[in-house]
Amino acid sequence: MGTQTALSRVAIPWRRWVHPVAAWFRQHFGDTPLGSWLLGAAVATLLERLFGATIAYYLGLGSVPAIFGLSIVLKTPALIPSVLVFVLLMYLLPTLLVAKFTTPLFLRWEERLSTRVYVLLHVLFLFLILYFWSQVDPYRLLVLRLLGINILLTLSLNLVNGWMGEFSVSVAGFMSVGAYVSSVFMVWGFVNDDVFGPAFFPESLAPLAFPLSLVLAGAVTAVSALAVAIPSFRTRGDYLAIITLAYLFIVKSTFENLDFIGGPRGFMNQPEVASFTVVFVWVVLGIWVMHNFVTSTLGKATNAVRDNESAAEMMTVDTRRVKVVAFLTHAFWSGVAGGLYAHVIGYINPSSFDLRKSAEILGMLYLGGLNSVSGSILGPVLFMFLSEILRPFQLAKWLVIPVILIYAMVRRPRGLMGFQELRVPFLVRRRQAQEEARAHAVAGD
Amino acid sequence: MPLLEIKHLTHWFGGLRAVHDFNLKLEPGEIRGLIGPNGAGKTTVFNLVTGFYKPTEGRIIFMGKDITGKRPHEIARMGIGRTFQNLRLWTHLTALDNIKVAFYSQIRYGLVGAFFNTRARREEEERIDHEARNLMKMLGIDQYANWVVSGLPYGIQRKVEIARALATKPRLLLLDEPTAGMSPAEMRETMDFILFIREKFNLTIWLIEHKMKFVMGLCEWIQVLNFGETIAEGPPKEIQRHPEVIKAYLGEMVEL
Amino acid sequence: MEQLAQQLFNALQWGSYYALIALGYSMVYSILMLFNFAHGDVFMVATYIGYFVAVGLLGLASLSLLPLSNVAVFVLTLILTMFLASFVGIGVELVAYRPLRDAPRASAAITGLMVGIFMETAVLAALGASRKDFPLLIPPITFTIGPVHVTNLKLLTLAMAFGLMFLLHLFISRTKIGMAMRAMSFDYAVVPLMGIPMNTIIVFTFALGSALAGAAGILFGMAYPVLDPYMGVLIGWKAFVAAILGGRGSIFGAVVGGFLLGFIEILVAATLPSTMRDLIAYSIVLLILTFRPYGLFGEEYSARLRL
Repeated sequence: MGTQTALSRVAIPWRRWVHPVAAWFRQHFGDTPLGSWLLGAAVATLLERLFGATIAYYLGLGSVPAIFGLSIVLKTPALIPSVLVFVLLMYLLPTLLVAKFTTPLFLRWEERLSTRVYVLLHVLFLFLILYFWSQVDPYRLLVLRLLGINILLTLSLNLVNGWMGEFSVSVAGFMSVGAYVSSVFMVWGFVNDDVFGPAFFPESLAPLAFPLSLVLAGAVTAVSALAVAIPSFRTRGDYLAIITLAYLFIVKSTFENLDFIGGPRGFMNQPEVASFTVVFVWVVLGIWVMHNFVTSTLGKATNAVRDNESAAEMMTVDTRRVKVVAFLTHAFWSGVAGGLYAHVIGYINPSSFDLRKSAEILGMLYLGGLNSVSGSILGPVLFMFLSEILRPFQLAKWLVIPVILIYAMVRRPRGLMGFQELRVPFLVRRRQAQEEARAHAVAGD
Repeated sequence: MPLLEIKHLTHWFGGLRAVHDFNLKLEPGEIRGLIGPNGAGKTTVFNLVTGFYKPTEGRIIFMGKDITGKRPHEIARMGIGRTFQNLRLWTHLTALDNIKVAFYSQIRYGLVGAFFNTRARREEEERIDHEARNLMKMLGIDQYANWVVSGLPYGIQRKVEIARALATKPRLLLLDEPTAGMSPAEMRETMDFILFIREKFNLTIWLIEHKMKFVMGLCEWIQVLNFGETIAEGPPKEIQRHPEVIKAYLGEMVEL
Repeated sequence: MEQLAQQLFNALQWGSYYALIALGYSMVYSILMLFNFAHGDVFMVATYIGYFVAVGLLGLASLSLLPLSNVAVFVLTLILTMFLASFVGIGVELVAYRPLRDAPRASAAITGLMVGIFMETAVLAALGASRKDFPLLIPPITFTIGPVHVTNLKLLTLAMAFGLMFLLHLFISRTKIGMAMRAMSFDYAVVPLMGIPMNTIIVFTFALGSALAGAAGILFGMAYPVLDPYMGVLIGWKAFVAAILGGRGSIFGAVVGGFLLGFIEILVAATLPSTMRDLIAYSIVLLILTFRPYGLFGEEYSARLRL
């Protein structure tokens, strides 16, 4: 109660400024579709890629601010005006202009293009935005690729923790199996290395074989996940949580004891095959596949197992199959994410996949929200964003992030998007039309 | 051939004998009642037939096949549908999704379809959607299709549960206290409703009920359980006068 | 044979640490149906508190401001640490669990994890990465019983562990709050009827569990005098596994599970390369849980116990 009144007192001077701006925005951009915004942002990031460094230099910023200048602002407040000008000039202005001028075009496309083409167009724009943005500085490139990996991990974990309602903590274990399998495959096959000797195949084939190594990594991880899936037939809740915990410890300890892949010292020399484009494609593929699964009736049986397992059995659902599929899908994509991670970082060791890593992914998951694809994207984005703007504060980062997460959980115990999805107006309209047609077909019978 | 035949069914929970030497022959199209005081073992019989418990002794034969010891979803696939005493809907799903998931064993696409959204999957989803909506319309609950079930009134939830059981395409429907928590008016309505679905879906119905008036009005044949033993069996008229039944129900007769 | 007897004492010693910490997990679980994932870090913080209390008291004694013998310092340290540690536990309850009483249990698990990370980081930030050496409060004496050598520390650890468990047993069975705790573990809803506010009981449970973790911290610190901020993660999680092994929410089970884990670990370490310890120990845990999915003394799964 106390905080609420305090907040509203603070909010009063805000209103005077926010309301006119919001009204202006609504008047001019009320009907601007998402596609225009994405295209605008793509143009803005392209401009930044071309002229960002020059403009940053003249504004006295030294180099292009890495993440919208937020960490600069926190560190040296004197640079706030320069950062504001940079953000205005580089991001806001081009985005707004392009969005405004392409609005009619996109509105026309919305009418004419098929849903699939239109969605693909959005994904393409998103790719361009992130691609241009990542080309400016290697740090951004690294952060974006790690973000993609975290999205895969969070979404796949959501299958088990959200859609199936279990509490699995083995995600870091799955990740490490995938990371080691794909690393061993790639280093043995395509790298001249002191451990595995000369490359078995020509090195130039490495990028082509990388997807294969990821699929292999995912498959091996999925098989190893049977160790968790089979006990889940008979037990659930806390005990299953412990089984997943034991799995995590066992996997970590196994890798520590395997000397031929470095034991506790770790394993390196992974070829540089995980470019931004590769990671992006895999992340989009993963989101697409898992989204397909959870929206299918076959996938919704996972929800039935969560909400009432015995009723699910009685309604012809093979609950064992459902559990195996959920765990193995989770493991597969976590394994793929692990393979990507190994090649992005270029070095892995058993302790990079400890309980802390799992806790981090769990944090992203519960921040974003259970049972939600968009939540599984939003969670990692927010978490990484926070963690990166707090990076200059080093240790203190891990004091601030827990506090923010606790606050978020207290305010929204089901996460930001728990049991909801982001509603893109265009898709909502199409779905409603479809829905009406179906209802109508039945009513007409 | 009887639709369902149960021979010498006996079940022990640890040292407690919940059901003893239960026998039954259920002919197609029948409406059969199973009554008895609280704790008589009625729901245990249902749980044994549907495969939730493995019987200690006895055989259960459905449509000529021995189903003893099979897993519940296998038995459900063979054509035994069921509702529960206290509703067991999937509370986070919409009414429509509740019914669609019950089509699980009839889904004609596999994991590839589920993961990659193939044409076969889209067509199959359309078919299931259409069938589920049809079912809802037949039971007069189609206007609630997109409601999350936990937000629906109790009576509607009961109908959704029956619709869900019907979606599994049962030959035999087991109803565990279908009128629990209902007013007399709703009870009469439910009676008509059960007769309606039997006709419409060509069902055999076996139900557990507490309310004597309901059972007497609906069932052609009634079996009475007490402490796991069958104490009487016969048409409603006979059961009403049966001395053993009156004795077993003595405490509860008042509210008949 | 001698080896075995020797290892037996090691196993009992580690079992005592695990059991004392596992009790904290189980007690909270039995009343709130959730695992206090920050408990391992409560143990860690408590050990640091014990360190500062001991160093402080020794300092006072050496300045002859307080005429204290080493044994008196030990007793005072133990009591003070247990007292202060209970407030750490209460703090965790207030911050991480009370605001989420009606929320899904998994959300409370996340806040618990986060409080744990916060405490680790806070200790790291406050004390730096340098490891602290726990002062030697009781000079080691080695007793030789036949072929077996036992230090007084091992015997003390065992005696303290059993003594505290006995006191806990008395508390739970004799005092009004203890009985309310038992009632609450039986039925959450019945407690307000007993005239004791629910939150009071919960606070007491956290305080008791943390005090036991504090005692374990002192005993551990004296035997393995190098403290570091991640010791809670290492030992706390194992104690958590022990609590599960015994059966969630079962106090007796927690003690048995703690000693069982101690035995498994020491036997593995005695017969196989030490790096295999975790691997084998957790594989055994996995096996036990596969065949006894509800732990050794736990109740079967019921709908109420879902995460």
